[in-house]
Amino acid sequence: MEIGLRLAVSLAQIAAVMGIVMLTVMVLTLAERKVLGWMQDRMGPMEVGPYGILQPIADGLKLFFKEDIIPSGANKFLFTLAPILALVPAMIGFAVIPFGPSMTIEMFGMQIKPFVISDINIGILYILAFASIGAYGIILGGWASNSKYSLLGGLRSAAQVISYELNVGLAIVGVILLSGSLSLVKITEAQAGGFWHWFILSMPFPQIFAFVVYVISAVAETNRVPFDLPEAESELVAGFFTEYSGMRFAFFFIAEYANMILVSCVAAALFLGGWNAPYPGTILAYIGLEHIAWMENVVWFAVKVYCFLFLFFWLRATLPRLRYDQLMRFGWKVMLPIALGNIVLTAIAAYFFPR
Amino acid sequence: MSAIVSIESTRKPSLRDWLKTLTFYDLLVGMKATLTHLLHYKPITLQYPHEKRILPDNYRGMLALLRYDDGTEKCVGCDLCEAACPSRVIRVVSAEVPGEPTKRYAKEYYMDMTRCLFCGLCVDACPVDALGMTREFEWAVYDKRQLHLNKQQLLAIGDRSYPVREKRLELQHPNVAFFNVAFKNLPQKEN
Repeated sequence: MEIGLRLAVSLAQIAAVMGIVMLTVMVLTLAERKVLGWMQDRMGPMEVGPYGILQPIADGLKLFFKEDIIPSGANKFLFTLAPILALVPAMIGFAVIPFGPSMTIEMFGMQIKPFVISDINIGILYILAFASIGAYGIILGGWASNSKYSLLGGLRSAAQVISYELNVGLAIVGVILLSGSLSLVKITEAQAGGFWHWFILSMPFPQIFAFVVYVISAVAETNRVPFDLPEAESELVAGFFTEYSGMRFAFFFIAEYANMILVSCVAAALFLGGWNAPYPGTILAYIGLEHIAWMENVVWFAVKVYCFLFLFFWLRATLPRLRYDQLMRFGWKVMLPIALGNIVLTAIAAYFFPR
Repeated sequence: MSAIVSIESTRKPSLRDWLKTLTFYDLLVGMKATLTHLLHYKPITLQYPHEKRILPDNYRGMLALLRYDDGTEKCVGCDLCEAACPSRVIRVVSAEVPGEPTKRYAKEYYMDMTRCLFCGLCVDACPVDALGMTREFEWAVYDKRQLHLNKQQLLAIGDRSYPVREKRLELQHPNVAFFNVAFKNLPQKEN
């Protein structure tokens, strides 16, 4: 009975988070096209619904009803597996993201944390591990398609994800040194009390360099412009998903956007204070509405995530694609030394000025 | 990426270059440009099916055959348009006007608009201004055979695009240039 209830509550939490993520993906597909359009003096989608706001639904319906083609000579098993392998790791990472304050509520005689599905003590490691599995989806999809464009896109993706995942991992080591925990809840809690306690600015050693390395590497890891070499449309048609159509294509598409949201959530939680407001405490608690103070925290988390997502669109509207050797040189010769230097300096600072 | 540019350039990078690289200066300039466009949002898009642009006066659209104000066709079947056409769009079958041996007309007149490049040479070539270019351009069809137009269709396009018609040449100023037109008020050539 106890286990059944716990399972039901967990499933409800998972369903809620999945729903929010899918809804955000829908919003993002429209927002990206709108923001890109506005930045390029266009209007973006305008036909479906008022100001085109129903465009994601139209896109979804179109993809759902499209013919599902498996090219001749493709490895059917891997071709079918790859989109799932790309989507599941992107979704599963949200299990450890704290969306709001780490309070516990009593319900059905159990302790429930409403804003995090599972607060495991190696949260950030878990996200990194699953992010690397997501790369398999892209590589296998590219290989199984029996197409030279897909294969080239998959190979590029493999090299790119390996080089830049290293930088993501090294960039967050500084934060882990300062907070002394791998749990995203604990890391976020360590940044409470105003924006000067956020790890991007906090003493003894501000993680601003680590943040820049993380942002650039996150853009590269999600295969977004200016690091969208795996799907470079001017060279590789559509890269690793050239041969995909219908729902399988939609899976890759959703995976890309879910990955964007995931890295934005991680950036918000690690560097920008997560659900902490940029001032100590919350206004709602200050004026005596402590029972709904969590709303303010959740809103702050959403604001940070959406600002970060806007940065993705902004970069896409501005920057041209890097050449392949530039990408590799930038990753290994510029980003990696900065990340390593940041670890050394942070370790020294954390040793002499313990928090 | 500015970092790479400064490494690749042959000139020894100065302190200023390093500062620019470290602060992503070139990148920020570009980001500022896109943000400026976002904040001062003035789209140049024309929502085409809902709003249409104003066509210039000399717009070269769909071709049409014209009539005089009494309803007779202007075309005299001279074949000059067929000769002028670079894409061989036009085919004219010329014939005498029944009962009037001095007059000719186009018995059949075909245009294959799938090949037309809207250069307007046929309109220039026509000695009696029987051809005109309308301002119609929405001629997308599902079956390209619908773009093979005959004389009746071309006249219909002319009728709806040129509601104000010219008078017959003999009723205009007597000095107007004429071609292959029998003028009843002028002395006939004896034959």
